[in-house]
Amino acid sequence: MTQPSIPVAIPKRTQSARLENWSRAFYRFRQSWLSVIGLAIVVALIVIAILAPWIVPHPEHVAGGTNTAARFQPPSAIAWFGTNALGQDMFSLVLVGSQVSLFSGLAVVFIAIAVGTVVGAIAGYFGGWIDEILMRITDLLLTIPSLILAMAVAAALGTGVWNMIIAISITWWPAYARLVRGEVIVKKEEQFVVAAHALGANWARILGKHILPNIVSPIVIKASLDMGFAILTVASLGFVGIGVKPPTPEWGTLLSGARSYMPDYWWTAVAPGIAIFLAVLAFNLLGDGLRDVLDPKARR
Amino acid sequence: MLLYILRRLVLLVPMLLGLTLLLFIVARVLPGDPVGLAAGPNATPELIARMKQEFGLDQPLPLQYWDYLTGLVSGDWGMSVFTRRPVFADILEYLPATLELVFAALLIAIIVGIPLGLLTAVYRNGVLDYATRTVALGGIAMPRFFLGLLLQMAFAAWLDILPLSGRYPLIESPPEHVTGLYTIDAIIAGDWYAFQIALSHLALPAIAMALSPLATIMRMMRASTIEVLQQDYVMTERALGLSNRLILFKYVLKNAMTSTLTVIGLYVSWLLGGTVLVETVFDWPGLGLYATQAILTQDFMPVIGVTLVIAIIYLITMLVVDLLYGVFNPKVRYA
Repeated sequence: MTQPSIPVAIPKRTQSARLENWSRAFYRFRQSWLSVIGLAIVVALIVIAILAPWIVPHPEHVAGGTNTAARFQPPSAIAWFGTNALGQDMFSLVLVGSQVSLFSGLAVVFIAIAVGTVVGAIAGYFGGWIDEILMRITDLLLTIPSLILAMAVAAALGTGVWNMIIAISITWWPAYARLVRGEVIVKKEEQFVVAAHALGANWARILGKHILPNIVSPIVIKASLDMGFAILTVASLGFVGIGVKPPTPEWGTLLSGARSYMPDYWWTAVAPGIAIFLAVLAFNLLGDGLRDVLDPKARR
Repeated sequence: MLLYILRRLVLLVPMLLGLTLLLFIVARVLPGDPVGLAAGPNATPELIARMKQEFGLDQPLPLQYWDYLTGLVSGDWGMSVFTRRPVFADILEYLPATLELVFAALLIAIIVGIPLGLLTAVYRNGVLDYATRTVALGGIAMPRFFLGLLLQMAFAAWLDILPLSGRYPLIESPPEHVTGLYTIDAIIAGDWYAFQIALSHLALPAIAMALSPLATIMRMMRASTIEVLQQDYVMTERALGLSNRLILFKYVLKNAMTSTLTVIGLYVSWLLGGTVLVETVFDWPGLGLYATQAILTQDFMPVIGVTLVIAIIYLITMLVVDLLYGVFNPKVRYA
């Protein structure tokens, strides 16, 4: 007796599984046009920051050169954003300012993730008194107003982009430590971790190979939402006169320099201000979009 | 309940001890040289050594910390190396200005944000909903200091209806000191002229600070109201024929408030730390401006003092928020 063959329609894959995952993720991302706008602005900012040395109309102004004969020119076809008190072209300065802002924002988030993940993973995995000590320090840092602490550390370390980045990172890692600790505590009870343990894997291997790869999503979500605020903090430090010093163009520093010439020469303030606003907004929108993709449950 | 409050207050002590230790270590480990800066570029080594001795900086670190700790209890929060004024007296002088600003900003954020959040949740996807959500997205991304500058430009320079900066005109004398908050002092004194002046100075910085918390509170309120509206008991109430208004204000509002409360509590710390920026823009004589000056001269005692005050206010706010949970949700018990 032969088995009657049942015709089974196997859906044909046109894409590999991995590609399919990506295209599904991109589909979810596209669902909100706000995230697409955010992504577009972020990409544009990155392109501008990379190409800045070649597309800037007045590289000599970025290097600190002045042209006092043409000071306080209102925005025009020649100088799109006008010129400042030193006759420097605001468009050039704002364009190059994107480099410092994007770079330091990224650096702050990366250092915060690195330090926070190590501290949080160790605290969460080992528990006990190690956890107790690390988390008390974390809690203490979280009660301190972060902007004031960052300002104080940056001022003491002296001016410079890296000093500023270190100062802000000191106030940012505790949030990541808390997040990672919570995730690690949940994951370490899972079967696959018990299995790895039974196979004789040591703690470093379990953490690095089995637990951390599984908690990447929440970290990425938090990081993308934090990028905007990191840029904002960098600009804030520049605005109060700590951090990057002129002639290095930085949006916050440019804005603080323009403050004394308000409101007559408003364009010197409006251009860097809008640049900060756009960058922060774009990263926030992108972060919201990424959260929708990586954590569909949190969708509103 | 009383026991709970007491226990929480007692738990604050080790927290604050740890905080002072941490701040002290950070301040001493950092490579700043406050005495050198304060003494000026022409100071002789003898002068610097004398100043170090005067401020106790020549002593070993643990001894310095012990002196600071014992001083804290008796109201001696150290002395500024730069101005030679006691930190505690300075903080008492600048704190009311900052508190007035923070309270005003929080008040604006709450009385505008909560009703707006409720409204947009009820009329979801309407014109108002889209308009406020767009503004909220922008409001969160807007730097406070840039918004402050724009407000100054619009209301002080072009429209000329509000003062540009400062807290009170120098030629006028502020209302009699009771709370230190000029608007409230003016009301207590019944002086409407002073109230008007104080309020006109307060308006712009308060709005500049309020926008971001307003946007967040509104978004939070909208999200939690939508969530509560989908609960079964709301449907039951509808089926029972209760009016929409009754359902919304008696049952939904309370339940939606809990998560919004957490956000409001967190914003107190954010606002206190962030006054630095707005106070710089508006020359508002508060803690932020005081801290900025101290930071720029690497004068660490005032910085530690300000940080400590903000941390204390933050920790107490969190306690109040935890207590308020019980008001909105009787299921919460304090053990």
